[in-house]
Amino acid sequence: MLTYLLRRLAQSALVLLIVLLITFTLPYFQNHGIYGPAYAILGTHATPFNVAQWGARNGMNHPYLVRFWTYLTQLIFHGNLGQSYKQNMSVWGLIGLYVPRTIWLALSSLILTVLIAIPLGIAQASRRNTVFDYTATGTAFILYAIPSFLLCMLALNLFSFHTLHLPSSPPSGVSPWAMFTDPKGFILPVGCLTLLSLAGLSRFMRGTVLEVMVQDYIRTAKAKGCSSRRVLYRHAFRNALGPIVTILGLSIPGLLGGALIIESVFNYGGLGIQTVAAATNLDIPVVLGITLLVAILTLLGNLVADVSLGLVNPRIRIEGAAK
Amino acid sequence: MTAVETPTTSEATASVVVPMWKQRLKIFMSNRLAVASAIFLILITAACYIVPMLHPVNETNQALTFDVKWNAAPSAAHWLGTDSNGFDELGRIFFGGEYSLTLGFLAGIITIVVGTVYGMVSGFFGGVVDTVMMRFIDAVLSIPYLFLLITLIAIFNRSTTFLICIIGFTGWWGNARIIRGDALLIRNLEYAQAANAMGASKWHIIRRHVFPNSMSNIVTVATFSVADAILFLSALGFLGLGIEPPQTDWGTMLQAGTAQMQNGYWWEIYPIAAVFILVVVAINYIGDALRDAFEVRLLER
Repeated sequence: MLTYLLRRLAQSALVLLIVLLITFTLPYFQNHGIYGPAYAILGTHATPFNVAQWGARNGMNHPYLVRFWTYLTQLIFHGNLGQSYKQNMSVWGLIGLYVPRTIWLALSSLILTVLIAIPLGIAQASRRNTVFDYTATGTAFILYAIPSFLLCMLALNLFSFHTLHLPSSPPSGVSPWAMFTDPKGFILPVGCLTLLSLAGLSRFMRGTVLEVMVQDYIRTAKAKGCSSRRVLYRHAFRNALGPIVTILGLSIPGLLGGALIIESVFNYGGLGIQTVAAATNLDIPVVLGITLLVAILTLLGNLVADVSLGLVNPRIRIEGAAK
Repeated sequence: MTAVETPTTSEATASVVVPMWKQRLKIFMSNRLAVASAIFLILITAACYIVPMLHPVNETNQALTFDVKWNAAPSAAHWLGTDSNGFDELGRIFFGGEYSLTLGFLAGIITIVVGTVYGMVSGFFGGVVDTVMMRFIDAVLSIPYLFLLITLIAIFNRSTTFLICIIGFTGWWGNARIIRGDALLIRNLEYAQAANAMGASKWHIIRRHVFPNSMSNIVTVATFSVADAILFLSALGFLGLGIEPPQTDWGTMLQAGTAQMQNGYWWEIYPIAAVFILVVVAINYIGDALRDAFEVRLLER
């Protein structure tokens, strides 16, 4: 188990290095090369002298490899992600300010999604090809096909302007704890994000349970006289959990991508809005920092998923131990 | 594997060879929802390319339409009213569809070609090649996709050609992983091993065994890629990064429509939303049916 973990961690470090290399290299393809952000910040009519001065202040006068090495050593030995070009803040400061809000949004909708999607998928699989199944599948298809911003805008229009009059965005400047004290403002963003990820997960759960239901051990369980309820929950559900755990680990970037749209629609000050602003303003240190953070979260998610997969499924555990 | 011989019921008659594509077509045709979806998709695609040429209202240049009416309700002159720029909404739907669908199809084709080649090479050759290629996929998959698109657009530009390239050349990562899994599996199956033992070249095994047997996944993934490309383009449209004006795409139109929703201009949002959702749902139904049609294991029974 330990060697497995170590190998996985080494692989994750390699993956992070690739992510970093890609995001570090991309800005060199801008209009003015690495000096592109200078024009975004100093204006398009900035004199070459000003641009060079600004570039030197941000360490752009060094060659590519030196810059990459500096970034890497600063990151590893000092935990320093650099300074935002656009906002007078360190990247860590920005992350500390906005990440908790987004994590709250993503996490609460992830929990809601799992709580709804798994029973829904099982119910669909056990009542396969009934009106209920068709309705749920049809809804999932439409939810999958609807652009996320459109769903949000329709929900906003319906529940905020016409009926119920829910607040269109959570009160600004409050900590995420307000979710418990004053949850009204969070209903729409969390609900929309949940709906968006619900379609995929419930459909996946349905497919997995159906796949498990034709396995030999299910037939054995039925043959030895287990009730259909026991077969479903004791045998099918447990075996269907594996793929679900994997898919949840993989869903982190998608969830944060979805949060990006949700935050723009509901004016929820979080990482998403900051990300779009940083990307469109070519605020490269912020882009690098956020990309790295999300990549780390994703890799952690994958690792946790794989390790817990070993806990859920003994067959994988043995295979891992053999290696 | 090119043709499956299905013996006829009567022993006396000679066995008739039913070409594989006919069997596939039959399976596809038995799914009525998918057939309806295919017809709808063909009709709407044709309309999106033909109507902008025939429709009497100028969809791009409002200066050419005399006495411009902004946000006009549906009337005999404008069946679906006009938008906030005074353009005819119906004409704009087809006009925007031309861009959305072209981009979706072209980007989808790029993703599937690149993804298939990458996945096949990675899965078939295995070992160090596979490890390195898959770590790259892990890396790029852990970057939020929409975020990457926005960054790329900020760095480069958003001409139509470039949007196709951006979405096409960054959308294949998931596809490559699925197809790599297939290639890895098939490579170790008995018939591929047997071909290898008989001295078949690697290229021959890929072409005659691995590729045809992963066709089910390739075709399914291809259809979903098209749907995804259309959806991602619409998300870019919402962020104001879609096709540049005066051209338009469905995402940009939906964004403009949602901005007018509170004014009660329903014709600017619901028709276009309905068309968009129907198109994406249709593509998904076709993908589902194609998966069944290309599933070799179902075919031979």
